[in-house]
Amino acid sequence: MQHTFRRIFFIGLLAFLASSCDEFLDVNTDISKPQSASAPVLLPPMLSDMARGEQFDSRFVGQFVQYWHNVTAGSSYEAHGSPSSDANAEKWRSHYYAIGLNVDLMIADAEAKEQWNYAGVARAIRAWSWQTSTDHHGDMIFKQAWEPGRFIFDFDSQDLIYEEVKRLSTEALELLNRQSSASTPAILARGDLVYAGDAAKWTKFTYGVLARNANHISNKSTYDPRKVIEYVDKALASNSDNFLVPHAGNNTDDSNFYGPLRNNMTVYRPSTYIVNLLDSVLLPARDPRLPIMLTPSLDGKYRGINPGAGDPTNSAATTSPTKLPTLFGTVTRPTTDKGSKFIFRDNAAYPIMTYAEMQFIKAEAAIRAKDQATALTAYTNGIRAHMDFVGVAAAARDKYLASPAVVKDAAALTISDVMIQKYIALWGIGSAETWVDMRRYAYNKDIYKGFTLPTVLSSDNGGKLVQRARPRFNSEYVWNAESLKKIGADQPDYHTKEMWFALP
Amino acid sequence: MLKYYLTSTPVLLRKMLGVFLLITGFWATTFAQQRVSGKVLDADGTALPGVSILVQGTEKGTVTGIEGAFSLDVPADAVLEFNFLGYLKQIVVVKNRTSINVTMEADSKVLDEFVVTAMGLKTKKDALGYSTTTVSGKEIVESQRDNWFNSLAARIPGASVGNTSGMAGSSSLINLRGTSSLFGSNQPLIVVDGVLVDNSTFNQGALVSDRPNRDNDYTNRAADINANDIESLTVLKGPEAAAIYGANAGNGAIVITTKKGQIGRGKVSYDNAFRVEQVYRIPETQSVFGQGNNGITDLNTRRTFGPAYGSEVKLYNNSDNFFRQGFSQRHNMVFEGGSKDVTYRWSNSFQDYKGVIPGNSLQNFSSRLVGSVQLSPKVRTETNFAYINSVNDKVFRGANGVLLNLLSWPANDDIRQYETAAGTRRRLLSVANELDNPLFNADRNFNQDQTNRFQGSINLILDPVKWLNMRATLGTDRYTQSGVTVEHPESNAGLASNGQIESYIAINRLDNANFTARANKKVGKLGASLLIGTQIVSSRNDVTSQRGQKFFDPDFYNINNTDPTTHRAKSQITRKHLIGVFAQAEINYDELVYLTATGRNDWTSTLPPENRSYFFPSMGLSFLASKLIPENNVLTYLKLRASYAEVAKDAPPHRIGSILEPRLTTGGGYSYGFFGGNPNLRPEYVVAREVGFEARFFKDRVTLDFAHFFRTSYNQISPPRTSYGTGFVLSYINSGTLSNWGYEASLGITPVKTQNLTWSVNFNFTRLDSRADRLPLDLPEYYVSDSWLFGNVRNSLFKGGPLTTFGAVDYLRNTKGDILINPGTGLPELNGANFTAVGDRNPDFALGIYNTFTYKDFSFSFLFDIRRGGDVFNGNAAFLYSSGYSNRLLDRTQPYVFKGVMRDGRENSDNPTPNTLAIVPQYQTGFFGALSDADFIEKDINWVRMRELSLSYRFPASIVGSSKFVRSASVFVTGNDLFIITNYTGADPAVNGNSAASPGAGSVGFDYGTLANPRGVTLGVRLGL
Repeated sequence: MQHTFRRIFFIGLLAFLASSCDEFLDVNTDISKPQSASAPVLLPPMLSDMARGEQFDSRFVGQFVQYWHNVTAGSSYEAHGSPSSDANAEKWRSHYYAIGLNVDLMIADAEAKEQWNYAGVARAIRAWSWQTSTDHHGDMIFKQAWEPGRFIFDFDSQDLIYEEVKRLSTEALELLNRQSSASTPAILARGDLVYAGDAAKWTKFTYGVLARNANHISNKSTYDPRKVIEYVDKALASNSDNFLVPHAGNNTDDSNFYGPLRNNMTVYRPSTYIVNLLDSVLLPARDPRLPIMLTPSLDGKYRGINPGAGDPTNSAATTSPTKLPTLFGTVTRPTTDKGSKFIFRDNAAYPIMTYAEMQFIKAEAAIRAKDQATALTAYTNGIRAHMDFVGVAAAARDKYLASPAVVKDAAALTISDVMIQKYIALWGIGSAETWVDMRRYAYNKDIYKGFTLPTVLSSDNGGKLVQRARPRFNSEYVWNAESLKKIGADQPDYHTKEMWFALP
Repeated sequence: MLKYYLTSTPVLLRKMLGVFLLITGFWATTFAQQRVSGKVLDADGTALPGVSILVQGTEKGTVTGIEGAFSLDVPADAVLEFNFLGYLKQIVVVKNRTSINVTMEADSKVLDEFVVTAMGLKTKKDALGYSTTTVSGKEIVESQRDNWFNSLAARIPGASVGNTSGMAGSSSLINLRGTSSLFGSNQPLIVVDGVLVDNSTFNQGALVSDRPNRDNDYTNRAADINANDIESLTVLKGPEAAAIYGANAGNGAIVITTKKGQIGRGKVSYDNAFRVEQVYRIPETQSVFGQGNNGITDLNTRRTFGPAYGSEVKLYNNSDNFFRQGFSQRHNMVFEGGSKDVTYRWSNSFQDYKGVIPGNSLQNFSSRLVGSVQLSPKVRTETNFAYINSVNDKVFRGANGVLLNLLSWPANDDIRQYETAAGTRRRLLSVANELDNPLFNADRNFNQDQTNRFQGSINLILDPVKWLNMRATLGTDRYTQSGVTVEHPESNAGLASNGQIESYIAINRLDNANFTARANKKVGKLGASLLIGTQIVSSRNDVTSQRGQKFFDPDFYNINNTDPTTHRAKSQITRKHLIGVFAQAEINYDELVYLTATGRNDWTSTLPPENRSYFFPSMGLSFLASKLIPENNVLTYLKLRASYAEVAKDAPPHRIGSILEPRLTTGGGYSYGFFGGNPNLRPEYVVAREVGFEARFFKDRVTLDFAHFFRTSYNQISPPRTSYGTGFVLSYINSGTLSNWGYEASLGITPVKTQNLTWSVNFNFTRLDSRADRLPLDLPEYYVSDSWLFGNVRNSLFKGGPLTTFGAVDYLRNTKGDILINPGTGLPELNGANFTAVGDRNPDFALGIYNTFTYKDFSFSFLFDIRRGGDVFNGNAAFLYSSGYSNRLLDRTQPYVFKGVMRDGRENSDNPTPNTLAIVPQYQTGFFGALSDADFIEKDINWVRMRELSLSYRFPASIVGSSKFVRSASVFVTGNDLFIITNYTGADPAVNGNSAASPGAGSVGFDYGTLANPRGVTLGVRLGL
């Protein structure tokens, strides 16, 4: 009896341990959340995060480039400052985390399934992300980025990242062109909310990234305007090629960052500079885009704010005839989308890249290449395309194009003419690219005619203008501080250090 | 010979021995001189079967039967010896009597000789190389706590115990010997009859709304165990004691033995307890100044920086109008009985408890059936089934909770008028985001949890041969906890969403199977025992939650009543399996020196396959020095002991790989969540050492137990925030080293011990210290974000500092330490976003003093809980100060100059400019926002707390005995938390700003938005039928 019992226990125990141990312990995967996903499932959040990163930081960059200003006087961004916070570093989060490793997950899935179009799209997105992120932040973690098991990261200079953009874009172009039975438009369309599976449009987008990459180094001896034009000619060819990130607009998660539901833009009003450009103060004709993009006060007059000055009518009654309306187009934030306008609607798509922008890049490069005729065509195309984009009626558009506000003599076309129209065409939708332009031209008032710098600069600046956004505070300043010191990012005026791309 | 039966519980041990003796012999030969018969009872009047009776000087004797009865033929002048293990020997002279009834007095010394240790094993206390504390179930019951965890406060050296708030159903924490895990749980294992029991507190992270454990509380689920079922509870304080429990024993273990049915006549016992309680110590507020800013009336703000109320203004005591008298009733009914082969005990408990906050109540029902069957002389089974149901209605706490709602209500408004005539919320202000009226909050918001729980275990115990004992245990603990929270559309929390309802169901399962075999052998003076065993643990938690917003009808509480487009759902499933194999060897020389060594190897599912197996040893040495000195009456017992142990803790489940989170962005899909997995995770280790002694003096009238321990935890698994260069916001890593050390002493004195009167007093002393030797990634600061409740104060760890450090944004200071003042405003300047160490929550020491007096049938006891030192963040005060309700600075119309020096460029020179800018706070509200939150950390908080005071009277047999129906009866009255004497200016310095679900060093000492413990008085009757 006793032996039998003992035997049963020991034999049972040993048998159990030997046979099923590994199987028993193999329960460490979360069955409520996946650890991998297919490319079509990974792409939509990446697209949303592309828009989110740019829009998030455009609230601050928009103050540097004077697209809009805060209703409260004394914004440190309007004084070209850089407070210790996570603000103005959403691009950092977006590049490393929100898009970040999801790109690698998508590449792994796509390549395993020979879905080359997804593999190309993934690289194109990462190339774009490196380009726009380094243009925002300058030095970044590049060589050691995403290295498993690493928690302290060195920073790399921008030239390396510019090379990486070229390398990734080239790979993307090859893959987008590569055929396989698994690489069909229908498969790509499953996750592609932007181009509905059209790899040719992703190819154009990738050339657009290359065009920016080549054009941003305009101050360098290595700058090749012919290369820029070549890229633009392979990039977006019409408004139907615009890279538009859609927003369902149902709730705060799927709404446009600029829409009233998200309540992110309520404290901003247009700058005096954009009002002056559109309202025939700085250009000799009133721009038909004015009533579409901006909103007059109740007295019918368009008003803007000067940098750092705040909105003098902020505390005025909502019925005050001179009170500045919100960017949504209403005096107070509308409760529904219907009261809102332009790209400030909950379901508005956000443009990551437009045909108009490409044409202005081409115009600038052509002038530098001394090809004034090409420049004039591109310049005119750019204005016309943007007017079509915002929805100006053809008659009003053509009237403006015929007006003295638009240069018609190729020989007379200047860089300033191009940059001012580009500035208008990127208002609200391309703050990042406009900031690159302004830094390339050192905030030059001869280029941006009528542009006035803030009267007061942040006390940290030592009189210098803002040149870069700091790495994200709660990422690098708190958790990677030693590495930051090596590049001087711990200095109070680090944000005024000039970008590699802007240097000769 | 008796040794081999020492593996069962004390009660069973006694009974079994009796049965054993009954069966095996001591048959008396009869020679007829005189027949004497009678009954043997214990002090409670319960019959004792199996008591051996010996006629002195002969070998003649008998044992008592099932009813405690005996009958024996003896010479008329015989002297009888009554012997029963666990009881003092009784000597009775027959003196021609034919009927003798004997009451056996329990020998506390003998009962104390054995202790239940890891894996439910009974071990001779002499052999232990570490200190343990045992609390009897009786003491736990008599403390009359609705959550029995709280009854352990001040009773256990080395433990800190605290419920998180004074709400009915609030969670309670036990922490043994400090914090061993930076980010993991620091709660001990709870083991009932050898089976692991789930003591988790629902973590709000599993909800759709992903909340941070601070606006709502959930009961720690070990509170479901009916205190009335606890026979005794042993606290194994650290890995030294608990090493063979494996992973998580690093936090120690609480080992509970439940009551079992007793052999003998069947018994029914009933007892009840009726309790009234009232709110005690709520923060005081001012009722001098009315609503406004800068001294000007503004009826659109709740802040009271306006002018003083005129004498004609009627003021209300809103606090009195808010709280109610709490009432609780509890009824217990137990049926038990047994024969020599079968015993059973069925206990039932029902409680209905209404807390002091309107809307707060707790109802629970527990039923537990315990039985044992002796299948054959060598095989026994014990089974245990319990069903528990609990319903807890709660109110919200913290920033949107009723307490802060109440404290920030202007005194000139009657809080009871919270509804308009139309039944909608009556608003004080016209601004939308006004804080709620607390009565509206308690009435219209809804917050409830329900738990249905099943616990069961089956034990098979085999004694195949004398030297071997085997035990197989299968246990399961399964419960479903479901809950609903409703934020009414008109409440502050529900305003933006136009009403929100969120519900969840958590299905929890914890199964374990243990097998142990223990062999004993004695050769000459050497004794040895060897234990081998295995433990298999499997757990799974499924939480599904759903949320809806935009109520169609504001007062109908169901998700059907919400806009379908707002519906969200979330599922979270956690699985964990573990296998452990362990062995323990004990050798002793002549019961003088004991050496115990253990080893355990675990295989866990939560670590990568190559790291999932890990081994850890422990070693204990005990030396009974008193055996070497001649027997004397001064030093009756002295034991020196030392132990060393290592324990490994595994990782949280599902942290090897990085997990994708569903996205709600346009088009949906997945992307990586915040947490980066780590395929290289290794276990975290705890290394612990302990030395100490136990001594008894003056025939055990004085006992002293002293322990000193030192514990280091390294390879800490935690998810610090890191550079986003990792691709994640937080990453799981092995990094960081923590040390805890401390001194524990327990001194027991029995100053009076006479026939009728006994007075004993017990002192429990604890002193703990800790240090963060290395922080993860060598970061300068590591903080647990849950503790960041209000303002810029949080539980920060700085390298070299204690784990209980307060980090806060302090003032900017010059090199001499003077506060820098802004020359423009006259207000002090704060140190940006830099958190520095500004205080420490850890007390200098904690002391519990427990006095018991028994006089005839009366017994009287009281427990003091004393603490010295340790800082407390008075977050309520900080909140009240910044909103005008603080009764600090009531002379706000007087000019005030901040002490400090101007930040004018000369602040670090030899002659800094002293601040002379006067501010009249009444006219410059900004004054009240200028203080550093560090100013509200109150330093060196002491308290003397009357935890319990209890008086009971047992009706003597002369009264009860006349009734055939009632066999025993007693009445009692108990007071809880009757008073506290403290230098703390807030309410209760012991509350916790978060629930027990918060990780790491927790949030005890963060007093923000949390109700203090109420005081209560309980009356009751106990009847034995």
